[in-house]
Amino acid sequence: MEDDQNSAPGSVQANKLGGARKGADGQNAAKRLQTELMHLMTSPAPGISAFPSADGNLLKWRATIEGPDDTPYAGLTFKLSFEFPSNYPYAPPTVLFLTPIYHPNVDFSGRICLDILKDKWTAAYNIQTVLLSLQSLLGEPNNASPLNGEAAELWEKDPTLFKTKVLERHKDVDED
Amino acid sequence: MPATVMSQWAQRRRRVFQSVFQTDVSQPTPHATPCIRFPEQGQPFGGLAAPPYDGPRHGTVTASAVFSQAAAAATQELLQGHHTHHHGHALLDPQDPSPTAHSPTLSTSSLSTIPAPSQLAQPFFPSLATAADDQVAFDRAWHVVTARIALPASATADDSFGTLAPDSQFLPHQNLSSDGEFYEALALVVQARTVLPRAAHIEDIVAWHAQQVRAHFAQHVVPLLSGCLDGEGEDSGLDSVESKGTRRKGGRKSHNYERHMVIVMSSIRTLEAALRLYFYGLGLLMRGFARLAESSVSDKASVDANLVAARFRRDIHALVGNSASQQLMRSVSIVLVRLTGTILGIPSEDDNSTEMARPCPPTDDDLRALAARQRLHELVDQLYNVGLGGERFQVLFAEIMDSMMSKFVTGAYAGVWTASNTRGFSTVTNTISRATNISSTSTCILSLGDWVENHFARLSFEVLSRISPDSPSPVTLSDVKTYQSLALGRLAALRISELFDIVMAWPSSCGAIDDLRATITTTARRLQLTGNFSRALQTRLLHPGCSTLEILRTYIAIIRTLHALDHSKVLLGHVESSLQLYLCQRDDAVRVVVTGLLAGPDELRAAKKVNESTKRPREKGGKCGEVEAPNRRDVEPFRTPGTLSRGPRRREMPQSTSRRRRDSTPEPQPVGELRVGASSTKLVEFALLLNDPSQSRRTAPDDDGDLDWNDMTWVPDPVDAGANYKRPKSEDVIGTLISALGSQDAFIKEFASVLADRLLVDPTRFDQELRVLDLLKRRFGDAQLQNCDVMIKDVQDSRRVDAAIHRTRQRQDKQPTTPATIEKPGKAAADAAGEGEMQLHARILSRLFWPNLEREHFILPSTIVEEQKQYEHGYESLKTGRKLTWLNQLGQARVELELRDRSVTVDCTTAEATVIYAFQDPDAKDDAPPARRSVDDLYNQLQLDEDIIAAALTFWTSKGVLRRLQSGDEYAVAETLSQPTRDATAQDEAESIVQEDERDSPRKPISAAANAKEQERRAMYWQYIRGMLTNSSASMPLFQMAMMLKMLMTDGFPWSNEELQEFLGEKVAAGELEVQGGKYKLIKNRKVRKDQWLAVHVIYGDKVLANNK
Repeated sequence: MEDDQNSAPGSVQANKLGGARKGADGQNAAKRLQTELMHLMTSPAPGISAFPSADGNLLKWRATIEGPDDTPYAGLTFKLSFEFPSNYPYAPPTVLFLTPIYHPNVDFSGRICLDILKDKWTAAYNIQTVLLSLQSLLGEPNNASPLNGEAAELWEKDPTLFKTKVLERHKDVDED
Repeated sequence: MPATVMSQWAQRRRRVFQSVFQTDVSQPTPHATPCIRFPEQGQPFGGLAAPPYDGPRHGTVTASAVFSQAAAAATQELLQGHHTHHHGHALLDPQDPSPTAHSPTLSTSSLSTIPAPSQLAQPFFPSLATAADDQVAFDRAWHVVTARIALPASATADDSFGTLAPDSQFLPHQNLSSDGEFYEALALVVQARTVLPRAAHIEDIVAWHAQQVRAHFAQHVVPLLSGCLDGEGEDSGLDSVESKGTRRKGGRKSHNYERHMVIVMSSIRTLEAALRLYFYGLGLLMRGFARLAESSVSDKASVDANLVAARFRRDIHALVGNSASQQLMRSVSIVLVRLTGTILGIPSEDDNSTEMARPCPPTDDDLRALAARQRLHELVDQLYNVGLGGERFQVLFAEIMDSMMSKFVTGAYAGVWTASNTRGFSTVTNTISRATNISSTSTCILSLGDWVENHFARLSFEVLSRISPDSPSPVTLSDVKTYQSLALGRLAALRISELFDIVMAWPSSCGAIDDLRATITTTARRLQLTGNFSRALQTRLLHPGCSTLEILRTYIAIIRTLHALDHSKVLLGHVESSLQLYLCQRDDAVRVVVTGLLAGPDELRAAKKVNESTKRPREKGGKCGEVEAPNRRDVEPFRTPGTLSRGPRRREMPQSTSRRRRDSTPEPQPVGELRVGASSTKLVEFALLLNDPSQSRRTAPDDDGDLDWNDMTWVPDPVDAGANYKRPKSEDVIGTLISALGSQDAFIKEFASVLADRLLVDPTRFDQELRVLDLLKRRFGDAQLQNCDVMIKDVQDSRRVDAAIHRTRQRQDKQPTTPATIEKPGKAAADAAGEGEMQLHARILSRLFWPNLEREHFILPSTIVEEQKQYEHGYESLKTGRKLTWLNQLGQARVELELRDRSVTVDCTTAEATVIYAFQDPDAKDDAPPARRSVDDLYNQLQLDEDIIAAALTFWTSKGVLRRLQSGDEYAVAETLSQPTRDATAQDEAESIVQEDERDSPRKPISAAANAKEQERRAMYWQYIRGMLTNSSASMPLFQMAMMLKMLMTDGFPWSNEELQEFLGEKVAAGELEVQGGKYKLIKNRKVRKDQWLAVHVIYGDKVLANNK
């Protein structure tokens, strides 16, 4: 399981690269993403938002999650990057935290361990569900399979220190 | 004369001769005769080379002297005979009327007695035949010949020139007397090379003659010819000036023709006379040649002679042909145009009839045509004989025939579109066969082919065979085929040019379509057709002056016409792109189509009636066609004499029919006056089509025609088909039209909204809607029209629910309430007059399936609100878990008003009912003054939109219930019709206002809805912008945002950059955005962040504390 999780981001990356060629799939993916965007915009969920990146590439998105109240992340915002394979939604997007985050299931380069982004992915998921899952992951980390062992430990043992570390680590990334 | 024979006297004799004959002696001797002969030869008279005498003259005289001597010595007897003979001739000479034949002729003829003996003598006296002698003999013979064939200098001759010419040369006795002499001399001249080998200066007599003829022609005939023209020239000059300006009437024109005929004929006569003159000389020469050939050993001479004669003839013809003046050719062409026009049955412009008759080929017994044909034959013969039948004539004739063909085609077939076989409106659409069926050629083509074969080709054959008798057949069968294909080309061009009118006249113009189908055979013509038609569309249809309805009607006609023309739809595809593009700019296009689709049965009937009534006179109905066939022939587009019309009936047809036909042919008319009755304001054709079973046939998607091996009508794809060409099976007007309107979805959406309107307005009957819906379902499938299904089901259900609620309410008054999710517009039938007895019927609509239904808030009368509440309870008890939302503005009400002197019952909208209810004063006594309210009062009371209040007040005023008070803003109830007249006028006024308002009114709710929609859209854009600035990039310039929005919005982003900038400016003003260096940025809530930082600090403090611990 752990092995799977550790190697997963890379495999997704490969998957993405493999599917990066343009074609009918790419068109379908773009269309689907457009629809998802529309959905996100017309019925936004609180605390999350996402949008295609400024270079106009529909397969690369940026998303923002606001830390949920009652969690160490309250009041913080986190930026994420989404990269969609051209056969999306039949393959999961690659999701990374751009904002440094101290979290049991996120490593220091921002890679996330979340089953629905790996083997549990189905085409029924979409950006909004992924973001909502990530938002809930902030409040309820899966400490059974941590990427960041220290964080997993601290989450249980020293919430105060955990929160301190979260705030230490958090740093707004304003790319421009 | 013997005294002169001594050679030593020669010198003197010559001098005497010179003194006597002066210059006259040289007259018959042509200039062509070499003049420096003697000095070169160094003959006995060599020393005399210096004297300035004319060589030939000198030579001739001397030679004659020498020969006289020789003859005297040798053949006295023969010589004597000749001599005396000649004297007789000489004595007659003075009577010769020819101006050239004076005394000199006497002496020359006396001198020229010698050549004949010399010819004989020469072999006997070769020693005598010195070079000089040969020369002299030749010269003398030459003189004889040239004198004989010399042309008269008939400069003074007028038109009697022709009669004069023979006189001068054809004196019979002279002929008799001098024939022998002439022929001998001629023989000598012709055979000079062999007979007189030493005569160095010999001449070709034919060439000389030709040259003389040329000179004569130039000097005398050409002036005469121009005289012929000049005689009429002033007039024709005048006429040409006139023809540039105002054209004269028929009488003048025909006079014109006569005058040109005179010019041509007089020119021909002049030329004939001149040629007679010329050929007389030639004839003499020819006869001489013939004799020579008889006596000669070689018959090569006769062949030569024929050749020479032919060459001469050709020369002369070339001379005449090339010297014919422009004016003459113009006259010839005018005459030819007139004659060929008559023969071919094309009325000329200068016809006596003031109106232009349609061309039609003449019958075999048409006297005018026969006469013209006779005349033309004569004329052509004459022209050919005088040499005017050359290349210029041929070119002229070709041009005339060419223009005749064009004239005939345009004249005879322009606007004649009647179908060859009568096909009804619906049956035409049934022709599914994909192959273009050329075998069913139209009458136009048949008659045109007939005309070309029997008249055009015949005429050209007749004329060409006359002017070129050498070639075996000037017009071959293949030529005729070429003519026919040319004529078809003209017909195609004509039909292409009138294609737009043909389309407008559809379906009565299917004959023209048949023509086109048969003639449009090449890709170039197809291109020409589409190009021309697109241009016509641009200029005649696609401009703001045409209503969308007209454009759509025309589009339907275009689809059907072009489909009939070309089943492959390639032509249509080429044409319709511009039309579709234009239709996209018409916002109401879809709505027009949909309302047309939903046209009621009565409208359909009316349209059908109009269709039939327009059809009947044109195409004599399929069923009764057989019975009416004889009559139909009168309306036949064209009377083909050979096939169709023989017999007495034809006699009077040309005038009457042509006029009638002209009446029935549709003139090019503005699009506005379409054939479908002007009364119909809806696109009823569309509904008709939808009801047409042949139209609703859908092509199975997997049906690949190319793989159907049993399809015997298979034809390859057209060459000009595009790459993604798919062969369509049927006409499919509706499919084409709907696809032209953009997506199918747009159409269905519009259909749903129109359907919603209709369902809400007319609650009882929607059979028509159901039927249309069924038909549409067959076309688009059930899934697409699910919303519409639900809508209709809603209406049906609500009727049941309504009845149920009313039943239960009768039993128990109150019901427990439960919250629910269904939104529902109410339709209130409010009985405003009676207080207690009011019935409320609601229509319950499922929110998700109905198109945008905006709520409009206003305060209903309390009684109605009460009713609504009770109704809600009833509903909620019936359907638990659902909730009603009332859409007050969508309802309808029947209002009964009891006024002092009358009661009024009006069906109106709920808003109107609410307004009039507001005038009710429950406390008012019977004799109280009428209630009065102002717009502001009502606004405060009802919270209804002021515009709607105003519209409602006008409505009631028009009904005579309210009266506008003098003060202006206030209205009062008209309890009595006290001043009927004034009321009436007021009513009229009000009505006119209402009418205007009614025109506005559909727009008003729409604009309100549009406003709400716009708000919604702006909110969504703001979401997008916020999402963009939150995620993509914290700050972005305007253009990038616009680009992103354009790219990302699925529905498209209609705003321009300016509009976006304005919008963003509003947001900046609202403090939600800020601009930094041209980039927009979301304003973040700094204060909150500060608090957070404070909190962090505190926590840090805690942490430090903890560590210390």
